[in-house]
Amino acid sequence: MLALSFRLPVVAIMAATVMLPLSIIAYQSVLSEPFFMGGGALTLDSFRYIFSDPAFWTALQNSFGVATGMVLVALPCGAVLAYLLVRTDLPARWLLEPLVLVPMLIPSIVLGFGYVVAVGPAGFYTQIAREWLGFAPWNVYSRATITVLAGLSMVPYVYIYLSTALRSLGSDIEEAARVAGAHPLRVALDVSLPMIFPAIVFSTVLIFFIGLELFGLPLVLGSPNGFDVLAVYLYKLTNLLGVPSYHLMAAVVMCLIAMTIPLVFLQRLFLRRAERYVSVRGKGNRSRPVPLGRWRWPIFAIVAAWITVTALVPLSGIVIRSFVSHWGVGVNLIEAFTLDTMRQILTDTVMLRGIVNSVLIGVVGGALAVACYTLVALATHRRHDGLSRFVDYLVLVPRGLPGLVAGLAFLWVFVFFPPLAPLRSTLFSVWLAYTVVWLAYGMRLISTSLVQIGKEVEEAARSCGASQGRTIRDVTLPLARNGLLASWLLIFLMFEREYATGVYLLTSGTEVIGTLLVTLAETGAMDRASALSLVNVVIIGIGLGIALRFGVKIHD
Amino acid sequence: MTKLAVDDIHLAYGSMDVLKGISLDLAQGEVVALLGPSGSGKTTLLRAIAGLEAPHRGRISVDGRSVYDAAGGVDLAIEQRNFGMVFQSYALWPHRTVLQNVGYGLKLRGKGAKDIEAAAREALGRLGLGHLGERYPHQLSGGQQQRVAIARALVYNPPVILMDEPLSNLDANLREEAKTWLRSIIIEMQLSAIIVTHDQSEALAMGDRIVLLQDGKVAQVGTPVEIYTQPANLAAASFFGRNNRLKGRIVSLNGGHARVAGAFGELDGLAKGPLAVGDDCTLVLRAERLAVAAEPGGNAIEATHVTSMYAGAHWEHVFRQGEATLTLTSPTRVAGGRAFLRAEPDDVWLFAA
Repeated sequence: MLALSFRLPVVAIMAATVMLPLSIIAYQSVLSEPFFMGGGALTLDSFRYIFSDPAFWTALQNSFGVATGMVLVALPCGAVLAYLLVRTDLPARWLLEPLVLVPMLIPSIVLGFGYVVAVGPAGFYTQIAREWLGFAPWNVYSRATITVLAGLSMVPYVYIYLSTALRSLGSDIEEAARVAGAHPLRVALDVSLPMIFPAIVFSTVLIFFIGLELFGLPLVLGSPNGFDVLAVYLYKLTNLLGVPSYHLMAAVVMCLIAMTIPLVFLQRLFLRRAERYVSVRGKGNRSRPVPLGRWRWPIFAIVAAWITVTALVPLSGIVIRSFVSHWGVGVNLIEAFTLDTMRQILTDTVMLRGIVNSVLIGVVGGALAVACYTLVALATHRRHDGLSRFVDYLVLVPRGLPGLVAGLAFLWVFVFFPPLAPLRSTLFSVWLAYTVVWLAYGMRLISTSLVQIGKEVEEAARSCGASQGRTIRDVTLPLARNGLLASWLLIFLMFEREYATGVYLLTSGTEVIGTLLVTLAETGAMDRASALSLVNVVIIGIGLGIALRFGVKIHD
Repeated sequence: MTKLAVDDIHLAYGSMDVLKGISLDLAQGEVVALLGPSGSGKTTLLRAIAGLEAPHRGRISVDGRSVYDAAGGVDLAIEQRNFGMVFQSYALWPHRTVLQNVGYGLKLRGKGAKDIEAAAREALGRLGLGHLGERYPHQLSGGQQQRVAIARALVYNPPVILMDEPLSNLDANLREEAKTWLRSIIIEMQLSAIIVTHDQSEALAMGDRIVLLQDGKVAQVGTPVEIYTQPANLAAASFFGRNNRLKGRIVSLNGGHARVAGAFGELDGLAKGPLAVGDDCTLVLRAERLAVAAEPGGNAIEATHVTSMYAGAHWEHVFRQGEATLTLTSPTRVAGGRAFLRAEPDDVWLFAA
């Protein structure tokens, strides 16, 4: 739609913002010491050091183990859940459909705290269980538990992709198979399953990928036991040698990126393929729900149990922990009720600043991020030239950067370029990192709402005499308004649940709830961590409430 | 006076040639219907005139001024060409009221708010929509939306109005009504317009002239009567009306008149285009120009009655002649069995096969 004089600068700025941090990491990884100490010589020593560190290999192995386990847990659960909610007469589907997405919105570090205070060795539910059984039936710090819990929290992602695929599968093509003489099970195996297969592969890659960069849950649950994954290993490397060991960190990051970026592109390939299947949709009516018969309520109970484990247990844990002074066998929680912890949080200047900053970055930063995404989306709107394809691939690059790494990379950008240094201790630095980390997600939201505007509506304005810019102002943007507002809400939610990206950018003035939670995880102050988590969850809940109120779809 | 001249326009999508050198003229107050089967390039041509598609060769000028000229390096932006365009989907802006939709073109031309409203209201009034100015497009019926789209296109007095299948989004009953209405509006307001349609009856009814496109080229240009009664080639003849086609060979020629022989026997006909004795040819016989006789004689083919279908205003009779099936229409029933299908020699058109 727009002239090159607008498109080129927009894309150039975006390319610089995306590629600069990555280049600095690559550069740092082949230096012998941190670049700010004069650089040192070009060398592969950092990689040699990392590769000779047994802890690195253990962390790598752990990351692969956890990621694989998560796929094994999340995929079957999510697939069954999608089938149950889309195709059967499961009771209360209207309630379950939004509810199953909730675990996705809770930051994984909050989940971690929640599990510790609820079902940890001294957790509320553990105490109750011990009272009844005489022993604790679970160990939340074990590798298996971490994997299962992380896997369960991924179920919504699988659900989203598979339910979309199932819904778009026209019932007529299944009916055609029935009429041709196939038994329902055969239809499922011969027609439905092959049709949603791309979505299955896609979600597998997605979960594996998120598993590789998992940070919050293992930080809280794994570290006490010495069970570290790659991201946690990276985090602990920060002060290993006294001075920040940037060169070692850069080498770890390069290893991580070498695994994630190919996965991102693989994922895109599968998404493309999935979309091609979706486009073969038949018109057909929604098929008659498969009756579950007497299994209706037992199955409902299982689904409810999953929601309990992934959302209610940890959330109730942090709620209780935020409001009691002590607990234990024989302690009446109502008598132990106190507002002290909350008061502490809300009177602590750092905590308070973190909360205000979080809201600011979600509301104002979210709006600014949407504005930036919109500019980029407009620069490629209805264009299928080289520049648009370049942007297509470029937006995928930050997805390969785990939040923790992206934050680190931006820290280095600010340190590397002295003119930018003053920005480093402002909220701008955090905002920039967030905006880049969520670039692909945001661009997808915005392009979707721009593409929905009929081409002829824009052409009509042009043929009436409106210039390109004028058409965008008078027709495209007003028509995309609802989509843009919805994107703002969703970006708000993502920014509020973000915790890893800000970690390395944390200084006085740049605190946000997420990064404060990470620091609290180290100090082990569970009461304050719970209270702050609760504040985080409440903010997310308000955002979610507004989104649902305005009918914003939480997934596309 | 020529309002719009399109000269030798070529356009390709990648390696696929869509328009292969199209030329046409539009006079002041004239309506040209661009007609052709789907894929013939008619909509592409209209969009190329508007500037929505990019040709790579040729010239387009309005009132003698080039808006596109490949050789001269002229390619005005869409908004600088000053056409009025009615889109197939109407493309009304859903976030603007009817009045704002219609007034937008005037606003872009820097008119004052008062003038805009007055002019928009006048345009709406002329199209019978004076009372709907404050509504939003989704509150209007399909027919009303179409009128708004037309009002929006002509409110700023563009030299030429371009219409892309303006009737195709209306349901069948409304379409008949809208066809009559559109034709009378065009005549009353003396508009110069190009109308794209794939429907021959729309083209015949609305166009002063018809440009028949086939495979990216102009197959024939003419008035509706010319193009129906004197098709220039086989493609033009086949596109209109209900036709019977037979294969034959020229046995004698006498000026334009020819005698042709085939499996059907022998017939006298009119040679269209260069044909020589001994040439293979295709006979085209319009269904309504065939008459049924019980006895042989005259210019007739012997055939066997297969079936008859009642179509309300007339009957459709199907006959078989050897391998060929022949259809003819008549106001009455016919007897079954053998019959003779008679045609005037002027109604038997012979085209090079």
